[in-house]
Amino acid sequence: MRISLNWLKDYVDIDVDADQLAEDMTMLGLEIEAVEQLGADITNVFVGRILSIEPHPDADNLVVCKTDVGHGEPLQIICGAKNMKVGDKVPTAVVGAKLAGGFEITKRKMRGVDSYGMMCAADELGLGEDHSGLIIMDPATPVGRDAKPYLGLDDVVFEIEVLPNRGDWASMIGVARELAARYGRPLHVPAIKLQEMATPASQFSSVTNEAPVLCPRYIGRVLNGVKVGPSPDWMCKRLLAAGQRPINNVVDVTNYVLLETGHPLHAFDYSLLAEHRVIVRRAKPGETMRTLDGEARTLTDQMLVIADAERPQAVAGIMGGEHSEVGEGTTTVFLESAYFDPVSIRRTSRALGLMTESSQRFQRGADPEMAEYAINRAAALMQELASAEVAQGLLDAYPEPVPRREVTLRYDRNNALLGAHVPPDNQRKYLTDLGFEVVNESPDTCTVRVPTWRHDVAEEADLIEEIARFHGYEHIPVTVPSVRPIEVRFAPEHDALAALRRLLVGYGLTEVCNWTFSSDDAVRNCGLEDAYLDMVRLENPLSERQAAMRSSLAPGILNNVAFNIRHGSNDLALFEIGPVYRPRADRELPDETPGLAIALSGAAEDRYWSRAPRAVDFHDLKGLAERVIEHFGAGFEFTVSESALFQAGQGANIAADGEVIGRCGRIHPHVLRSLDIPQDVYLLELNLDPLLRLPQRYSQFQSIPAFPPSLRDMAVVVDAEVPAGAICEAARRAGGKLLQRVEIFDIYEGKQVPAGKKSVALGFVFQSPDRTLIDADTEKACDKILRALKHAYQAELR
Amino acid sequence: MNADCEAVRQAAMEEIDALEDLRALEESRVRFLGRKGRIAALMRLLGETSPEDRPALGKAINEVKEALTSALEARKQELEARDLAARAAAEAVDLSLPGRRPRQGHMHVINQVIDDIVGIFVELGFQVAAGPDVETEYYNFDSLNTPSDHPARDSHDTFFVKPGVVLRTHTSPVQMRVMERTQPPVAIVVPGRTYRVDNDASHSPMFYQIEGLLVDHGVTFADLKGTLALFVRRFFGPDTKARFRPHFFPFTEPSAEMDISCSVCRGAGCRVCKHSGWLEILGCGMVHPNVFGYAGYDYETYTGYAFGMGVDRIAMLRHAISSISFLYENDVRFLEQF
Repeated sequence: MRISLNWLKDYVDIDVDADQLAEDMTMLGLEIEAVEQLGADITNVFVGRILSIEPHPDADNLVVCKTDVGHGEPLQIICGAKNMKVGDKVPTAVVGAKLAGGFEITKRKMRGVDSYGMMCAADELGLGEDHSGLIIMDPATPVGRDAKPYLGLDDVVFEIEVLPNRGDWASMIGVARELAARYGRPLHVPAIKLQEMATPASQFSSVTNEAPVLCPRYIGRVLNGVKVGPSPDWMCKRLLAAGQRPINNVVDVTNYVLLETGHPLHAFDYSLLAEHRVIVRRAKPGETMRTLDGEARTLTDQMLVIADAERPQAVAGIMGGEHSEVGEGTTTVFLESAYFDPVSIRRTSRALGLMTESSQRFQRGADPEMAEYAINRAAALMQELASAEVAQGLLDAYPEPVPRREVTLRYDRNNALLGAHVPPDNQRKYLTDLGFEVVNESPDTCTVRVPTWRHDVAEEADLIEEIARFHGYEHIPVTVPSVRPIEVRFAPEHDALAALRRLLVGYGLTEVCNWTFSSDDAVRNCGLEDAYLDMVRLENPLSERQAAMRSSLAPGILNNVAFNIRHGSNDLALFEIGPVYRPRADRELPDETPGLAIALSGAAEDRYWSRAPRAVDFHDLKGLAERVIEHFGAGFEFTVSESALFQAGQGANIAADGEVIGRCGRIHPHVLRSLDIPQDVYLLELNLDPLLRLPQRYSQFQSIPAFPPSLRDMAVVVDAEVPAGAICEAARRAGGKLLQRVEIFDIYEGKQVPAGKKSVALGFVFQSPDRTLIDADTEKACDKILRALKHAYQAELR
Repeated sequence: MNADCEAVRQAAMEEIDALEDLRALEESRVRFLGRKGRIAALMRLLGETSPEDRPALGKAINEVKEALTSALEARKQELEARDLAARAAAEAVDLSLPGRRPRQGHMHVINQVIDDIVGIFVELGFQVAAGPDVETEYYNFDSLNTPSDHPARDSHDTFFVKPGVVLRTHTSPVQMRVMERTQPPVAIVVPGRTYRVDNDASHSPMFYQIEGLLVDHGVTFADLKGTLALFVRRFFGPDTKARFRPHFFPFTEPSAEMDISCSVCRGAGCRVCKHSGWLEILGCGMVHPNVFGYAGYDYETYTGYAFGMGVDRIAMLRHAISSISFLYENDVRFLEQF
C-alpha cells in the first residue's frame, strides 16, 4: 500500500517530519518497505499541450506530436503512447530533463524523425509502475509551468506492508486512524455532501439478498446521467501517488474511494441489468459467466454471485462480468457496496484461481459499516465530478447487523503478561483512542466493544497487544527469566549427530547440506534398487527433479561430487548427515531416518612438495566406516555386496553388532558414466538409527600391563584368493591367550612368490599380565599358529 | 725428572691442538692418560724416586695430568660443537616451504551457525527438541491457531504430500508436539529444516529455522525481550542492539518482529539494511491462548513466549554471503571458507 503524506494530512494533522513519521509507523506495526521523496530527482518537466498528432512516416506504432510547453516554438516529439488526443495536457520532459532513475532526455532521432523531448507516463516520473499510457492532466492546468506540483511530485510516499490480520490498514483512513490515536489528534473523515434526487432508488431498481450468510450486507445506489470525463488535478495527484494512473472520473472515483476507505465498490451498467435489478445468490451448479478479464468461468453452488433477473453479472466480491461492464456509452450506473463473508470469498477465489484487489480485501475482512460510508462518498464524488444525479436513498439489504464483539480486559493480567506497569487509565485510553467503546467497567477491568473494522480482536490477549503497541514495545522492560530445568530429554540424537559431525570434520571431511528432495530419475541414475523408488511424493513440487523426498543420501552427494569435479575440484572428501524419508502404509507420516553418506574421490591427501599424493581407495572408505561404528561403541563386519551401485569385488555390506546398517564401495563405472563423473568415486551410506539407539557405553579401564610385550613377525604364502582377514582370524584363534593382537603389515604378490600366491606378513603381540615372556612361550605360540594356517589354508612359511 | 713431565706435557699439548676428530682425540687420551699411557709411565717412575723428591714429582705429574685432562675435554667440546654445527648446516630445512598440514574438514556453515545459536540457548537452560519434516496439517497449522481458511496460510506457500500432510513450513509444530508430551516448565530450542514453495535469489525451497519456546508461571513479554536481546549480544557482538516491532503471527499474541542494529553499517544505513539501520532477523511473541488450548495448558496458570528465526539469513549476515544459493550448491570452494 502506497501512502501519500499529502493525502494523509487530509485526515489527521501531522507535524513530525517524514523520517519521524516512518519511525512512528514502524513502531506501530506498519512496516515501511520504502520511503520515496517523489520528484526528488526530476527536473525540466513542464505542463505541455498537444497541438497535433500525425502518423510517423516510417513506424506504425509511433506518432509525431507537436507539443506546446509555453516557451519557444512547439516541440516535435515522437511518442509511442495511444491514450492521448489533440488538446490534452501532458507532463512533457524537454531536452536536458532528468527523469526517474536518472534517465536524461536528449535530442534523438527515432526512425528518421527528430524528437525534442518526451511526454511522460507515470513510471517515468517515479509514480509507481504504470506504463500503460501518458498521464493526461487536468485541462485547467496552466501550460508551461513546472509540472511537478500539479502531479504531486512534491509529496512523500510511504510504501507499507499491511499485516494479514490488519486489512483495515490498507486504506488512507485506516492508517490515519492509527496515527490519530498515536498522536492524540482527531480523525477527520470527509463529510458527505450529497444532493439526492426526489425519486427514490427503489423506483429504479431493487436488491434481493438470497444468501445473507455469505453476504451479510448488500447496498446499491443508482446514479443517473453520468458524464464520463477526466478527473480533476487534485484527484489525479493522489491516484498517481498511490500508484494508479487516472483513467476517467467514474473509474477514478471508485479507485479513489477504495484507497480512501479500503472498501471495494463495483459499478454495473444499469441499462444492461435484466429487469434493472440485483439478486445476491449462490450460483447454480454449472452456471457460467464471462468475467472482466475475458475468461469464461464455470461456477458451483458454493460460489456467491451478483445476478440480475436472468444471469450472474459478477462473481461476488471478486470480479465483475463483461456483460454489464461500465463503458463509453454508460449513462446510468448501479453502484454496489457490500460486505461479503471472508471465508466464502477466499474459497471462491482459490477455486477459480482468481485473486483480485477486491478479493484480497474481502477475504481479510471488510468493514460492514464502512460499506455505507464508501457508497455515499462515491456517490457524492460522482455527483461532484461526473454530474451524476443520485437517486434517493440506499437499496440496503442488511437483514441482521453483523454482531459487535465485546471483550473484557483485566488490567492486572495485561501487566502480568507484558511484565510492565501500565496504569489502568492508560490501558483504557489506548483502547478508546483506537475506537473501542467501553461498555462496562470495574476498578480492575473494563469491557469494550470492538470496532467493526477490527476483525483481529477477539479476546483479551488481542487487547493486550493493542496496549503494548501504544504503550510502546520499546518501553516494556527487559528481564532475563530463570529457566527451570526438566529431566525428560526431547532430542538426545541432536548431540550425538553433532558429535559425529565433529568427528568426521576432524578426519578431514567436509560436510555438504543438500535439499532433501529427490526424483525417480535421480534414484535410477545412481543405480539404486527399485525399492528406493518407494518415495514420499509431493503434490505440488517445484519441478520434476524435486518431486519426492529422498529415499537415499546417495543421489545428493554423488551430484555434489559431479558438480565439484565439473568446477575443477577433483580431490573430494564429503559427508552428509540428514534424514531419508520412506512412506509407511500403516501410518500417516513417513519414517524419517537419520543417515550418513560419505563420498571420496581423487587424492587421499593434499598435494605436497615432499611426496606424490596417494589416490583414495576402498580401504580409506572402510577405515572411516570402522571409525564411525566404533565411535558408537559397536562392533563391525563387512561382507560382499552384489549391489549394482558398486563395481564387482569392491562393494561391501556393513553390519554393526550383527545388523546390516549400510554399504560402501567403489561406484560402478556405469553409474559414473550416467552421472558424467570422469573419475573413481567411493561411496558409503549408513543408517544411523541403530547406532543412535545403542545404549551409551563408557569405556571401562583396563589395567596397564606390568610386563613388557613380546613382538613376533611371520610371513606366510597362501593362495591369492584367501582373504587376509581369514588368515588373521585363524591366527588369532590359534595364538592362545597370550596373543594380544594380530596386525597385517604387508601383502605381496609378484616375482618373489609363485604365481597365484601371495605373501601375507603378520605381526603378533604377545603379552602376559603376570610375567615377562621368554622365547619359548612365543615360539610355541607361533608354531601353533603356523600349523593352524597350514592346516586351514595350506600356508607355507616364507 | 721435572724435565720428563714437561716433555710429556709439551708433546701432549702439541698433539691435542692438532686433533681434528673425536676418534683421534680418544686415541690421544688413551696414549697419554690410559693405563699404559705416558702419565701412567711417569707414575711408575715415582716408585724409583727418593722419598724426599717424591712429593714434588708427584705434584708435578698430577699437574700435568690435570692439564692434559682439561685440555682434552676442552678440545673434545670444540670438536663436538664443530661436528654438531656441520650436521645442523647439512640438515637445515627450508623454513619457507609450507608446513605439512593435516587435511582440514569443514562443518557446513549452516550447522556451525545452528551450533552457535543452540549453544547460547542451552546455556540459558533451554534444551534441544526435534520433530519431523513431513508433518500433519494439524501440527503445522490447525493447532497453531491457523485454521484452514486463515489468510495466513496463503503466505506459507506450502508443499503438500497428501490430504492433511505437508512439508512443515516452520519449526513451530514442534512446540505443540513437545507441549503434548509434558507439562510446564517447557524450555526448548528447535533447529530444523523447513520448506516453502519458493525458489529465487533470496528464497530456497528448503531452509533452516530455529524455534524457541518457554512456558512456565509468570513468563512475560519483558522476559522475551530480555532473552532475545541477550542472545543477539552474544551471537552478533556486545554492541548489537535489538528492536521489537509489533507484528502478526497467528500463534502468538502480542506478536513482534525483532530487528538488530545493522552489523554492516552499525546503524548508519547501508544497502544491506535498505538504509534503515536495522535488520529483521526473527519473529516472536507471547504464546496465543488458543495454542495453549490445543496443548491442554491452562492460560490462566501459565504464560509463555515463542520465537523463530531463519538460520540461512543469519548465516548470510554473519558471513557476508551474497546469495542463498551458495548454501545448498555445496561447492567445496564455498564450503572450505568456513
